[in-house]
Amino acid sequence: MKVTLRFFARFRELLGTDIIVEPHDGTRLADLVAEVAQKNTDGYAAIFDEQGAFREFVILMRNKKRVETAEAGTITVTDGDEIAVFPPVAGG
Amino acid sequence: MLSERERERYKRQILLFGNEGQERLKSSHIFIAGAGGLGSPAAIYLAVAGVGEITIVDMDTVDQSNLNRQILHTDRDIGKKKTVSAIAKLREYNPDIIINAIDTTITADNIRGLVGQADGIVDAMDNYPVRYLLNRVALEKKIPFFHGAIRGFYGQATTILPEKTPCLACIFPRAPPKEVFPVVGATPGVIGTIQATEVVKYLTKQGELLAGRLFLWDGLAATSEEIALEKNPACPVCGSGAGTEPPAGMIR
Repeated sequence: MKVTLRFFARFRELLGTDIIVEPHDGTRLADLVAEVAQKNTDGYAAIFDEQGAFREFVILMRNKKRVETAEAGTITVTDGDEIAVFPPVAGG
Repeated sequence: MLSERERERYKRQILLFGNEGQERLKSSHIFIAGAGGLGSPAAIYLAVAGVGEITIVDMDTVDQSNLNRQILHTDRDIGKKKTVSAIAKLREYNPDIIINAIDTTITADNIRGLVGQADGIVDAMDNYPVRYLLNRVALEKKIPFFHGAIRGFYGQATTILPEKTPCLACIFPRAPPKEVFPVVGATPGVIGTIQATEVVKYLTKQGELLAGRLFLWDGLAATSEEIALEKNPACPVCGSGAGTEPPAGMIR
């Protein structure tokens, strides 16, 4: 199966975007994002905290629908999924 | 009624939405929270569009390091209150409208009075705690909340319509960490101008608002994206969670 990971803004700078991965059946959403993010230490640290949990401000979308990051550890990805990960910005 | 002078001044936009649209702008009052990077372009474009009354609030003094982006203020304004500088520029841009510039910090205690009878709130703040306050007051008063935020070359914007769209706390339940954010002036230029466009569209009833949609601008890649937004049924501000403990950083 193929899943596309799209990172935005600062996450894109660190990790690139439109990354196509071929996870095995039953791969959890959180594990997939972590695995891809691990290719860049700063990228991983921007998205995950020291305990490996999503940082609380990170927005996660699956096929344009919001996924609570707390639930991403129990959701499995399916073929054709498009996962978007982005950080809200705060400046004005 | 529009004066002859007004019909001439706004001639090129009356072509878009007619005298009726222009009169709607003239009879409207918009509240702009912040006279910085986003507040500058938003206020300038709303002033020149002929929004009849603009209230802009800021508690800061113009600093040299503001000038790369806060285009309401110029080199000779360094050290002046931003409200003093803002009101002078906006009056020069359009002497036919009412400008109120209030030098204060927006708090949970004063926000309702500050917003008053305004027809909409433009979010030109640089922090989420005050954004959450503005969001809550917009919901209470049932007026639109035009959200914008930026960092570096990146920006985001959405238009929040009470009871119709997700509120700011549905979309961003947790604030990103505080920081001295990097920024190039053109980025708040893009986002503040989108906010002003949304206000004009809302007031003149034109087009499709950015309602229930989050616009994401990536100036570095020169791409924009849009994310469909959904209400959080358990939202502590607009959903069933109202009245429960607010998220961290959210001021009641």
